[in-house]
Amino acid sequence: MKMVIGGAYQGKLAYARNTWKDAGKLLDGAVCSWEELKDCGIVCHLEEFIRRGLADGLPMRELPEYFKKENPDVILVCREIGYGIVPMDAFEREYREAVGRICTQLAAMSDEVHRVVCGIGTVIK
Amino acid sequence: MIHIVTGGSGSGKSAFAEEQIVNLQGDVRIYIATMYPFDEESRRRVERHRRMRAGKRFETVECYTHLEELKIPKGADVLLECMSNLTANEMYQEGGAGENTCEAVCRGIDALAAQAENLVVVTNEVFSDGITYDRETQRYLKYLGTINQYLARIADSVTEVVYGIPVRIKEE
Repeated sequence: MKMVIGGAYQGKLAYARNTWKDAGKLLDGAVCSWEELKDCGIVCHLEEFIRRGLADGLPMRELPEYFKKENPDVILVCREIGYGIVPMDAFEREYREAVGRICTQLAAMSDEVHRVVCGIGTVIK
Repeated sequence: MIHIVTGGSGSGKSAFAEEQIVNLQGDVRIYIATMYPFDEESRRRVERHRRMRAGKRFETVECYTHLEELKIPKGADVLLECMSNLTANEMYQEGGAGENTCEAVCRGIDALAAQAENLVVVTNEVFSDGITYDRETQRYLKYLGTINQYLARIADSVTEVVYGIPVRIKEE
């Protein structure tokens, strides 16, 4: 498993596609299903996948184990959203913390974590 | 030794900070808790952190304001968590430092560092979301940012924890 993380509009997906040219099928976390996650090379907008799942009341904390079991070589592209003031809205708070906890577990499972700022990646793991 | 640990929400910075203290293998471990449990959600957070610390021999000391008056045993390894709460407490709690929050908190850290054998301080990256906040929140951001810069200046090392991965931004 590999992760590419960073803020919004930093060129994370382009970086991922450029770094792993034969990564395979790309999925958009904003629209894809759990089933589709089993068979793909890259998932982008993982934060959107987590957000949709939380809104639907799904057990999103099981996501890291799901990837480990069903697609352990996947490349995950996720926006870092935990760098602001604690949101007033309870769902936004839950979303922010869930992305942090889930990504911390995924990062522990990953053999590489790349952080992209201004299109430039730094390998932090 | 002063070590500042920073990071975003849910990044694993607390677990990392606790590990730093445990690895020192000292006899006395003090945990300075700054989060005032004002509602159910904050009580749950406090409980979660208590469970994380269980079995690690920390003595918990609550300190919501006036850190500079806190007395701790000599030779202790001290973990203070978290600067974002302490700053908010000083700014908004009755009897807090208000406009003098930065000075009060920095003096408090100096006093604590003078007593502790080793000091680990957890703070929080809350400065990068692109939202334009009201004046009061902007004042909070300015105060916490100023305090964080002071902490990093007096620290021997500073680590940003990114999803459980320690990224060194100041080396000992």
